[in-house]
Amino acid sequence: MILNGVEIRDSFAEAFPMVGTRLIITADTPKWAMIAAKTMTGFATSVIGCGCEAGVERELAPEDTPDGRPGVAVLIFAMDIKGLKAVVPLRIGQCVLTSPTSACYAGMEGGDVVSIGKALRYFGDGWQIAKNVDGRRIWRVPVMEGEFVCDHESGTVSGVGGGNILILGTSRAETLAAAEVAVEAMEKVEGCILPFPGGIVRSGSKVGSKYKGMFASSNNAYCPTLRAQTETKLPPEVASVQEIVIDGVSFEAVSACTKAGIEALVALGRDKGVVAIDAGNYGGNLGPYHFKLREIMA
Amino acid sequence: MTGFVLTPRGAFDARVDLTGALPGASDLERLSIGYGFRRVALGDLFSVSGSGADRLTIAGGSPLLDRVAAGLTSGELVVDGDVGAELAKGATGGSVVVNGSAGAYAASELAGAHVTISGDVGERLGAAGDGARRGLSSGTVVVGGSAGLRAGERQRGGVIVVKGDVAEGAATDLIAGTFAVGGALRGLAGRGMKRGTLLLRSAEGLSSGFADAGEHDLVMLRVLVRRSEALAELFGEGLTRARRFAGDLNVAGKGEALIVSA
Repeated sequence: MILNGVEIRDSFAEAFPMVGTRLIITADTPKWAMIAAKTMTGFATSVIGCGCEAGVERELAPEDTPDGRPGVAVLIFAMDIKGLKAVVPLRIGQCVLTSPTSACYAGMEGGDVVSIGKALRYFGDGWQIAKNVDGRRIWRVPVMEGEFVCDHESGTVSGVGGGNILILGTSRAETLAAAEVAVEAMEKVEGCILPFPGGIVRSGSKVGSKYKGMFASSNNAYCPTLRAQTETKLPPEVASVQEIVIDGVSFEAVSACTKAGIEALVALGRDKGVVAIDAGNYGGNLGPYHFKLREIMA
Repeated sequence: MTGFVLTPRGAFDARVDLTGALPGASDLERLSIGYGFRRVALGDLFSVSGSGADRLTIAGGSPLLDRVAAGLTSGELVVDGDVGAELAKGATGGSVVVNGSAGAYAASELAGAHVTISGDVGERLGAAGDGARRGLSSGTVVVGGSAGLRAGERQRGGVIVVKGDVAEGAATDLIAGTFAVGGALRGLAGRGMKRGTLLLRSAEGLSSGFADAGEHDLVMLRVLVRRSEALAELFGEGLTRARRFAGDLNVAGKGEALIVSA
């Protein structure tokens, strides 16, 4: 399949089940809501090394938040509910509780629950106050600035982690520029995050390594400088590859996000240096979710 | 579907205990109810019409009708007129609407239902009944008029809203929960209060155990008025600031009275 000069390879992204939750972080200003959100979702690119994958889902207008202040929705995923229960209170406690004027609310209901105030209230050292209104419990934890307000807990969802596309381009600059355009389009899809820096991974990995104890290592088949030394997936005109990894609350959300990215890249076309779009997989035997590029674009 | 409708056959000459007359109750006409010192069939005092399990209307209230909606778990119960004592006592779900006034112990020990009373209520709104340790523990009661003595006594949670004035001893020994008053306090409010929040227009009437903790911009207020329609109606959705009085310090309480501007 070739669209606007861009080859859509007959490949698929292989993704895995994850458990996720959405949190709504608010603050007095959009700036401080985003600072808290970015800090809270920092060092959360890959579950392999970070214990979770997290990112900003979208900004929220004051009328769409529980306290009428500017807000940011973040999504955070882990491999299982136990892992999620471990990382969520820790990250909120270190990054949101500490951030000026912030508050933190549940962004979804249902499923297993993860603690917010249920765990963080103890910081109040006995001065914390619970409020039960409309069947929901919120906590007020006194802090030097005033009060930190948060919901008792948040619901969770069975999500999908590890959706991806690979952008094969003619130069490093053009490939990165194309990836940035794709990220901009993909970030508009609700229910998804792109957990890597700026949404982009320049160091996509393969499973395993020649070195004992390494679970993942550089994906040499897509490394342009190794073309003469290893089996390559890159045609001669490709000089650089960028990957965009997608985590979402459902198969449909990840699929829509994948499509938005490919469409943006196709719109740029071969003239802007986009040679082909590929996807990372493990032969289809490891992950139950397969995002087939050509089916998505059919 | 309008549900069942109970219409009084005439004026009552004794107190009527309507325990068990709830939406979804079977064979309402033959339900045994208290009438003074006797027990009678509900059909002897009321004509029963309509059908449907989700709603029950009492078309003609009276201050002699006690325990209306007591123990309600689901559905809607509407009273066109006044009711007597122990309205919705211990109700755990559903909603109750009284288009009139209610007697003593309205919404006492409420545990999840939503109760709306357009008129006034007697003493001990949302309080603990005789022998009980805790009053209203969850759910909401909204009173359009004024409340009698010791409203919210030993309240344990939930939300009480009184749009008018409250008599002496409001929130006595209040354990937790939110108690909002749109009118005036008549004195000795919050005495023995352990935790919980009073939302008030004025500190006048608070007991001596409350101390001024200053004026604050409280994010919690923004959340409260967005999650509680009754509080938003009383204080407006723009509520952000309050003067905080901590108490009852005489009993080492960690409760508070938040004085919000009109």
